[in-house]
Amino acid sequence: MLKPKQMSRVLLVGHKDVLEQTIEVLHSLHGLHIEEYEDDGYFNIGKPLPGAEQDSKDLLKLRSISSFLGIGDPYHRPVDAKQLSSGLKEKLEALDSTVSEKLSRKSDIEANLKDVETKTHDITPFSGIPIDFDLCSGYDSLQVFSGVIKKGTDIETDLKKITSEYQLFVGNTGVILLFVPVRYGDDVSHLLSECEFAEVKIPEISGVPDILLSELESRHDLLTADLGLLSVEIDSIKSQDEEFILSSEELLAIETQKKEAPLFFATSEHAFVIDGWIPDDEFTLMKSRVSEATGDRVHIALREEAADEVAAEDTNIPIEYDNPKIVKPFEAVMNLYARPKYHEIDPTTFVFIAFPLFYGLILGDIGYALILLGISLYGRSKLHGEGWNSLFTVLIYCNISTLFFGILYGEFLGFPLAELHGHPGLIPGWHTVDLFTAMGDELVTFPIHRTHLVSTLLILTILIGVIHINIGLLAGFRNVLKQHGMREAVLEKVSWMVLQLGAFLLLFGMMGVIPSMLPGACVLILAIGMLIAGEGAVAIIELPSILSNTLSYSRLLAVGLSSIGIATAINTMSGMLVESGGLFIIGGVAVFILGHTINTALSVIAPGLHALRLQYVEFFTKFYEGGGRIYDPFGYNRVYTEE
Amino acid sequence: MTVDIASATLEQILANQKGLLAIGAGLAVGLAGIGSGIAEKDIGAAAVGAFTEKEELFGKGLIMTVIPETIVIFGFVIAIMMII
Repeated sequence: MLKPKQMSRVLLVGHKDVLEQTIEVLHSLHGLHIEEYEDDGYFNIGKPLPGAEQDSKDLLKLRSISSFLGIGDPYHRPVDAKQLSSGLKEKLEALDSTVSEKLSRKSDIEANLKDVETKTHDITPFSGIPIDFDLCSGYDSLQVFSGVIKKGTDIETDLKKITSEYQLFVGNTGVILLFVPVRYGDDVSHLLSECEFAEVKIPEISGVPDILLSELESRHDLLTADLGLLSVEIDSIKSQDEEFILSSEELLAIETQKKEAPLFFATSEHAFVIDGWIPDDEFTLMKSRVSEATGDRVHIALREEAADEVAAEDTNIPIEYDNPKIVKPFEAVMNLYARPKYHEIDPTTFVFIAFPLFYGLILGDIGYALILLGISLYGRSKLHGEGWNSLFTVLIYCNISTLFFGILYGEFLGFPLAELHGHPGLIPGWHTVDLFTAMGDELVTFPIHRTHLVSTLLILTILIGVIHINIGLLAGFRNVLKQHGMREAVLEKVSWMVLQLGAFLLLFGMMGVIPSMLPGACVLILAIGMLIAGEGAVAIIELPSILSNTLSYSRLLAVGLSSIGIATAINTMSGMLVESGGLFIIGGVAVFILGHTINTALSVIAPGLHALRLQYVEFFTKFYEGGGRIYDPFGYNRVYTEE
Repeated sequence: MTVDIASATLEQILANQKGLLAIGAGLAVGLAGIGSGIAEKDIGAAAVGAFTEKEELFGKGLIMTVIPETIVIFGFVIAIMMII
């Protein structure tokens, strides 16, 4: 539970005749993490099994079909793999030809549509001009101007001053088409430039603009209809063959994976060597299954002699978490930071306890807990996938804890539920029960009123911090002990505990609980000495961190109080609006709903991040390094097919 | 508004002191918050840049980003101690 799965390094050596059977068995076992062989000149890298190339081509084809059809929905009804593979090639060919025909039709239509759109764009400025485009060019004695001029300019008056021999057309969009004899060209051009003339190119099409435009429009409609029809056809192929595509894609991926596996193996002319890691508890099974399948023709050996070497290459051993099912979702929280190394304590279980505890301690509100429980239960049933599942499960754990603390604090959406000495509660007649007097004359009651118990809770949260940090230091002690021995472990980790002891003794001395401050000072100096011996003089710079780390736990109170503050503000504002009566009641309800929606969102982010940070920054830095390699066993998680 | 100290009652003086304490507590949290914010904005920007390049750095980036948050927690502790 506190360790990753124990791994052994194994070597499988056999004749190439039994390579295929060996791969088959290893693949179905899904347990061996294969180490890729790097060519060192003695052995060669293996060659893929026959048919690998064809399979990967087919796979590529299938994937392009699948992306064209837009297939991606998870489909849950596994297909029998043998049955599927018998008719796969033919069906794939047929599907491929159908789809490529649709594909080419689609690209044809799209090209045509593009053409229509470009032409429409070019012709539209000339709409309303009753002249065939053919008549706009090819003259020796006439010059043609087409373009736009400044709005509101009366060009004809000025034009008449130059010549009366002209013809002018103005389109619906304000584009002008002007024909003048070549000899007046320069003058007209000068005139036009004064009117901020900008040329619009005459399209090289024959026909009258308005007629052309209506033709283009009907063509556009036709093409769009065609495209709609095609997409219906594509959808019908999609719904009809979705199952086949998904399952055969999986089948081919598995085949390719198996056939290309020898690329990771070392091979000689007649033999192969597979090197890899396997969890200890799966070794016997693998050995017997491989021997059975190959008739004892593969030699399987544990590489035990490498124990020292293994310790040195700590980072090289693939890591598989070994946690009970209930703790599993928190592996996602771990992965966000780093996977543990092989010889380290796997802190997932600590996080499983502390994270929801801190979250609940911060939020502690029945109302928000119920809302968030509802959301996360709904989300878990609707959104699938490992990431979502972990996220929502973690949220569920957190909010169960929030519910517990909510009852302890007696809070509902920021309202206190019970009455506390004159401060009214939400449930009439429920009075808090006085228990005992704590720090600073504060009265501890049930339910606890956090806002009236600040100094006690402040001390309590810091104590929680001290406990949490020391659990971290103990874990660190174990890690260093295992890796470097007792001396280092004492100097590096126990020294911090002695330092805390010294600080407490000093504090008690100052408060007069013990008569002298001397013992505290002595222990403190001893601790500093141990630290310098363990970590060098740099440790002095690190000294204040223990204080800041411990005080940092006061956020368990602070963030909670700020959440209460926001909720109370919302409740007061909406209460004031509702009391005003009339239309204000609607406003009050709106403020209440909107405000609590925002605060619910904040209730996931703020306590979540702060609880997480306490794990990552304050806790993990005491013992955890991380950086382990992901265990990726040879095999495939079948979803759409079954053997 | 000026307060004539000589003619102020004891209640007024006490109320004034309470007000000043509240202002002090507010400054402690507020200024510490600004400090945290300034520190976090730079780290946050760099962290986002880093984990866009390499997603595994998200956890480390988050930690680096929230380290200065402790400053405002200190401010909060001081504020609480002032008010109580």
